[in-house]
Amino acid sequence: MGKQVLYIEMDNCIGCRSCLAACTQCGGHDNRNRNYVLDVDPFINRQTIPLMCFHCVNPACARSCPAQAIQIADNGAVLSALVEKCIGCQNCTIACPYGIPKFDEEQNLMYKCDLCYDRTKEGIPPMCASVCPTNTLQWMEEAELEEKRAQIPLANGKWTASHDPDVLEGETNVKISLPGILQGKQKLF
Amino acid sequence: MPKDKFFKVMENKIHPNEKLVSTHCCYCGMQCGMNLRVDTTTNKIIGVEPRYDFPVNLGKMCPKGVTAYQQVNHPDRIQRPLIRTDASLKGTAEGFREASWEEALDLIVSRFKELQHNYGKDTLSVYSGVSMTNEKCYLTGKFARVALQTRYIDYNGRFCMSSAAAGLNRSLGIDRGSTVPWTDIHQTDCLFLAGSNAAECHPTSMFRIWEVQNRGGYLIVADPRETPLARRADIHLDLRPGTDLALANGIVHLLIKNGHIDEDFIRNHTNGFEETKELVATFTPDYVSEITGVSVEKIVRAADIFGRAPEAIVMFCRGVEQQSKGTDNVSAYTNMSLVTGKIGRPKSGVATLTGQGNGQGGREHGQKADQLPGYRKLDNPEHVREIACAWGISPEEMPQKGVSAYEMFQLMKDKTIRSLYLLCSNPVVSAPNLNHVRESLKSLDFMVCCDFYLSESAEYADVVLPVTTWAEDDGTTTNLEGRIIRHRQAQEWFAESKPDWWIQIEIAKRMGRGQFFTHLKSPQDIFHEIRQVSKGGIADYYGVTYEKIDQNNGVFWPCREEDDEGQPHLFLDKKFYHPDGKAKICALPYRPPAEEPDEEYPLRLTTGRVVFHYLSGNQTRRIPFLKDMYPDPLLEVHPKTATRYGIEHDELVTLKTRRGEAQYRVKVIEAIREDTVFIPYHWGKAQSINLLTNPALDPYSKMPEFKACAAKIIKHKHGGVRHG
Repeated sequence: MGKQVLYIEMDNCIGCRSCLAACTQCGGHDNRNRNYVLDVDPFINRQTIPLMCFHCVNPACARSCPAQAIQIADNGAVLSALVEKCIGCQNCTIACPYGIPKFDEEQNLMYKCDLCYDRTKEGIPPMCASVCPTNTLQWMEEAELEEKRAQIPLANGKWTASHDPDVLEGETNVKISLPGILQGKQKLF
Repeated sequence: MPKDKFFKVMENKIHPNEKLVSTHCCYCGMQCGMNLRVDTTTNKIIGVEPRYDFPVNLGKMCPKGVTAYQQVNHPDRIQRPLIRTDASLKGTAEGFREASWEEALDLIVSRFKELQHNYGKDTLSVYSGVSMTNEKCYLTGKFARVALQTRYIDYNGRFCMSSAAAGLNRSLGIDRGSTVPWTDIHQTDCLFLAGSNAAECHPTSMFRIWEVQNRGGYLIVADPRETPLARRADIHLDLRPGTDLALANGIVHLLIKNGHIDEDFIRNHTNGFEETKELVATFTPDYVSEITGVSVEKIVRAADIFGRAPEAIVMFCRGVEQQSKGTDNVSAYTNMSLVTGKIGRPKSGVATLTGQGNGQGGREHGQKADQLPGYRKLDNPEHVREIACAWGISPEEMPQKGVSAYEMFQLMKDKTIRSLYLLCSNPVVSAPNLNHVRESLKSLDFMVCCDFYLSESAEYADVVLPVTTWAEDDGTTTNLEGRIIRHRQAQEWFAESKPDWWIQIEIAKRMGRGQFFTHLKSPQDIFHEIRQVSKGGIADYYGVTYEKIDQNNGVFWPCREEDDEGQPHLFLDKKFYHPDGKAKICALPYRPPAEEPDEEYPLRLTTGRVVFHYLSGNQTRRIPFLKDMYPDPLLEVHPKTATRYGIEHDELVTLKTRRGEAQYRVKVIEAIREDTVFIPYHWGKAQSINLLTNPALDPYSKMPEFKACAAKIIKHKHGGVRHG
């Protein structure tokens, strides 16, 4: 089995928040969701998008941590702060350009999406991608990701209909397609 | 049974000291597969895990499914039977005391006997639901007719599935919600969804629906609102609520005009084409556009795509069915498949998206006022004889057919019915014209309610019996495809609660009718009786066994013999279920909704669901995650309409119809027609939108017109917008 990645197809999202509900069910998540869903323009339409940790290759949260409390797992998952190391400074919550790490006042501890590391290390999809009823969140091997890229040839040669996202933190382990991915899709008839 | 590939890993590594029980969700007709996590030290359900091996949902779950397990050991569960001590408090949660099962059952039976002695057998009534297993649904029909010996039994499927049933019966001669398995949906070339907010009502269908577009197929959606489904459709037919029949006739008109019909199929396998062709001739795009408000261009384009599609599936849901012409709507949309011959083969057909968990099975086993198990009819003497013989009573003893659900409330008001045995339903929220329904329940001499929470309807009862949830009992349901599946008991019966089948058998014994019931000691015994009794009927379960369901991950009915594998696809032999083997193409004149907007009530009110709640919300409003996500009903209004009324987003307004009024917060959104407002119906008490809805009934299905009535917004003097 090759490396597996989380792939997000934004256009599919229906705003059901199953990913949030499922996140609370993952072991060690203490019944708290660590991912979010945003209404893009709630007065206009029902377009929603999930906001997940992108598990940056060189994450700002970890770089900014003075206590080295944020570890990066072998599959690229950027983990929650280690209880024994986190000093509660909240640098990570400020540093992350996506607003992902949250702070638990009671425990004086940062917590964030850990890509369900206890599952993904066993080859099991993360909870959010397991339950996502729309395939907005998909857990796939890199080869499958390449197939997907090849299926959607666009005039500009790019994968996504708009443009490859200029990712604030450079390369990420989570891959995204922005809304509009099907604009160039050839119809069957 | 084949375990999915992650089962062992999850069971052993992720959750030590736990076991996983493979079962299905309790909510909508998808009946998604799921694993319940059970703590092996306490034997309590404590969580959920995806179940990847069930082909319908492949591990996917909606937010209701993920949190469904939280209802089982919820602090609101009723622990012991409750007896009302203060009749003046009816309609509130006050005035009950706890009692033993012996006392509660003795009281019920003595009151039933007394009322029957004074007013006749038919003074009792049973009002049931279809969120429970086939075994319980079947036994409820037998309980009413054999134990209570009353003609008055009906169920909440009247508000949910009855128009689909009547329409499919008329067109195809059989009422199985889908002619294809759900695993065909993503393989078709064109999906036409009418009156279905599938993204919120059946979310785990969505990965298949999006896949049609991912493959280059087309998605056409008919809906007054730009739902999450309609948002991404290739064509969104944004019709006025209640005008589906004109739209369907208009598309059939264009299919015929443009030569997109299958003449061989029509000639060999259908009746009624010529009359229909004549009738739809007047439904030109201009005329249809005038009625529906959909642009001519979109109507023409939709018909062209559907006509050219090599394979196409027409799907419909409550938006089409909950109308006073819902049956006609269903047949009219089915006409699209019949004139093009796109039915009776893989990847093409018709399907209705079932709302309640066992909406399909629950209507097959004799809970309806006019039906006996296996879809047999009470007005057919041969059918009555077959079932009477199976039950061990004489045909003369079989009660006559009764009346539909909403009509039962009218009979309570005039004292024809004096007692109600209510189970698995919450009509005080889900029925139309609620002021009338609540008065009807108050006028009863004696009411029993079986529920696991003290629902709004239970508050009207004299005795409340605590029943088990779906995860505390074994049994089968039949999902929206017609696939019979197994629910497994994951924990022991909660506190002193009992399953409905146990309660009914106990009451039957005490009514002196125990000899017809005492051989039924478990759900499997009851299922065995369903098999025998349904044999030879249209919904034939004879060949289905628990073992076969386990081996095949469900069995599709009809399954007539033990070596029969069941039928995922219907009509592959092009034989329909009418006596001549032909389907009926129906000529259906258009008629408007029972109540049209006028000067006093200028808006059209339509109702529906949100993804976070199920039916009357009795279950989901108690789950913290779901409640937080959507705590109160919101009135969806187009910005231009809001401007016209001078109201703002989040302002509290009164919505009024000829039947009642209620107050709601405004949600301003462009994704709705300017002439239409929308409210979800999952809330009770003063927030019930069904205080306002129209009980005008479809003449065939007796389905009320929830989807279209005239309404007006009344602005409050002091606005009341919440800021910050």
